[in-house]
Amino acid sequence: MPVQGVKAVTTARNGVGAFILQCKRLDFHYCDWAGSSRGMVAFLKHKLPAIAKENPQIEIRVSPRPHRHPVIKGQYINGREKAICVRNLEPEQIVNKVSLLKEASGEKLKRIKKPVSSINESVRGIWSPFHGEYKGI
Amino acid sequence: MAACIVCPKRPLLALPFLLPSCEPVALELRRNQSSYRRTKQRLRVKPDASFGASNQSRDHIIYNPPPTAPSVYQTPTKFLPPDDARRALRTDASSGSENLDSFAPIYKSSPEKTYHLSPSDIEEIRKLRLTDPMSWSRWKLAKRFGCSPMFIAMVCEAAPEKKEMQKQVLEAIQSRWGAKRRMAREDRQLRRETWGRDE
Amino acid sequence: MKRLQLLRWSSSALSARARAGVRLQQNIARGARYQTTVSPAAQSESGQLADEQSFPPQFSSNPQQSKYALPSPPVEAARESAKLAALHARLYLPSRLPLETLARSLVDTSADPNPNFNNESLATLGHDLLTYYTSEHLLCTYPRLPLTVIFAAMYAYVGPKTLTAMAKEWGVETAAAPGGEVDPGLLQFKRLLPGTELNAEGATMRPNAHQKSWRKSITSRIVYDNEFGEQPQTQAPVDAQGAQGVSFERANATFVRALMGSIYLHAGRPAAKRFFEQHFLSRHLNISELFNFSQPARDLSRLCARENFEPPVAKIISETGRKSRHPVFIVGIFSGKDKLGEAAGASLLEARSRAAVAALKGWYLYSPLNVRVPSSTEEEGAAPWKPVHVDLGEVIV
Repeated sequence: MPVQGVKAVTTARNGVGAFILQCKRLDFHYCDWAGSSRGMVAFLKHKLPAIAKENPQIEIRVSPRPHRHPVIKGQYINGREKAICVRNLEPEQIVNKVSLLKEASGEKLKRIKKPVSSINESVRGIWSPFHGEYKGI
Repeated sequence: MAACIVCPKRPLLALPFLLPSCEPVALELRRNQSSYRRTKQRLRVKPDASFGASNQSRDHIIYNPPPTAPSVYQTPTKFLPPDDARRALRTDASSGSENLDSFAPIYKSSPEKTYHLSPSDIEEIRKLRLTDPMSWSRWKLAKRFGCSPMFIAMVCEAAPEKKEMQKQVLEAIQSRWGAKRRMAREDRQLRRETWGRDE
Repeated sequence: MKRLQLLRWSSSALSARARAGVRLQQNIARGARYQTTVSPAAQSESGQLADEQSFPPQFSSNPQQSKYALPSPPVEAARESAKLAALHARLYLPSRLPLETLARSLVDTSADPNPNFNNESLATLGHDLLTYYTSEHLLCTYPRLPLTVIFAAMYAYVGPKTLTAMAKEWGVETAAAPGGEVDPGLLQFKRLLPGTELNAEGATMRPNAHQKSWRKSITSRIVYDNEFGEQPQTQAPVDAQGAQGVSFERANATFVRALMGSIYLHAGRPAAKRFFEQHFLSRHLNISELFNFSQPARDLSRLCARENFEPPVAKIISETGRKSRHPVFIVGIFSGKDKLGEAAGASLLEARSRAAVAALKGWYLYSPLNVRVPSSTEEEGAAPWKPVHVDLGEVIV
């Protein structure tokens, strides 16, 4: 057989074509009694329905957690979880925390040094010392 | 100097290669070379002629091909079908084969094919190789019939007893290899297989 | 909190139970499912024979308890599942695709052997659509690809490994075990027993299939094997309960195929095509890495002889360090005055071989301008079909 095929798997490029939001679930935990949950309870009563309507792709769970501080937990497609404690926060501040969890990719935070990272080949290729004209200095 | 500090127990005269670098003249020379102004001066490259102001008043195309190996996705002009529009766009200058004659072929002899052997010759080759494989090797047959050993291998096969003997000879040789040589041979084989996958 | 979308219902293609007009069949099917004494396999064989009086009356009076008797979640549960609605919205599925069908596409044959409630029929349709769209894309974009590479590219685009990766990237979770009480937003399948042979080859139409050592030609692979050029895999062995388990990979691949089929059924061809382009074709694949040549120089000279080009000659374009430990040679392969390919190598033989590989890839990876696929003529007001470039075929040595 002159040529054989090599088995491979295509790699996903999220956002090229379809975009999948990486946050798949948000868990809201609150306490009915404690004062640190006052903002959270107000958020759940007044803000959460609108947020849930805006983001149908996120599954939302609300559950009480007595005698503990209120927590928002985000579950991501890559299997990781991010949790933010929202004790004593106002509802507007909790909205910011929710949008932070919603927009996160679920990866660990790391410093990105290069402005662009791509799996596409560069247009002009990889520089080679054996090609191109010799430019004298 | 640093070496002197690191190993002070050794006498300096025992390390003669360190001595010239400790001389003040050499130090001065090196310092001059790495001075900031000179480095900048060396890196101040004149721009390529094609980028400069040309005598043409109109806009023109700057042709500056990338200093890279060509991509496999760019089909060579010869491989384009006759009705492809890209055939007309490619010029001789962009193909890069203007100094074809200056390139040396990798084989000394030209691969001219003569096709001088007749079917009776081939029958003769087969008979010789089968009846007396010890004296008529591929190279001897090639020399006699004026063809390549490759052609002999294409035309006929060795006798089974000769094959068996060669196999034993090879095994005897390989049994004397140590671990290093054997691994080196296997690595070489693996590297050879990557040629076809272009890795 | 659930976010239920107000879906426009398309009553034409729903599953049998959800269809409003067929009440009688609906009751019969439910009756057959409630017979716990009948094994699922026997149930599927007996089909719709169970009569309406046969099911015990307490199930209809107590629907909560009856859930546990079902092999897969009931249709009504789909509206109450937050996971399912989230998955629907996450994939931007068309609103004409109801949640019930999405829930059905998540039920594998191993979980529910009843063909009215599992995804087998949808997966068959989706598999045909996926392979059709992929193969037409490959054949029109790269008309000269050798068949083995087409098989490999098909496998890379819509093979089971890729579909499994896609289901994972969509955030599809799997249920630990199938049943009527689990969330319908989870993928439900019965797992394989430990120690099961995974890669057992299945039945084939191939004559002399028992002769394992015989050479399988490319032509026979087209005729007898599947679209990836492989022998189709066998069904898993039947376990003690009479149901078959499937591997994780196979269940996920079946789900993705079934989803494609259900989009086609409910939202039509353009939506299915768009879904394919956005989720499958947009993935990255470097086709030039799928080639594995054994004797590239020989193939190239055969190609040049076939196409009436001058015989290829390898020439040194540049070199460095010939007598050193790490020489580099740049060898180009020329046919007449045209350069076919060039490559660098540590020896003259290596550079020549790699240059021949580059030249052959240049031939095989030819792509015409303005590629159109046959399915693009199905759109409204599409231009008439013009035949695409058809090649002689790969080099045969």
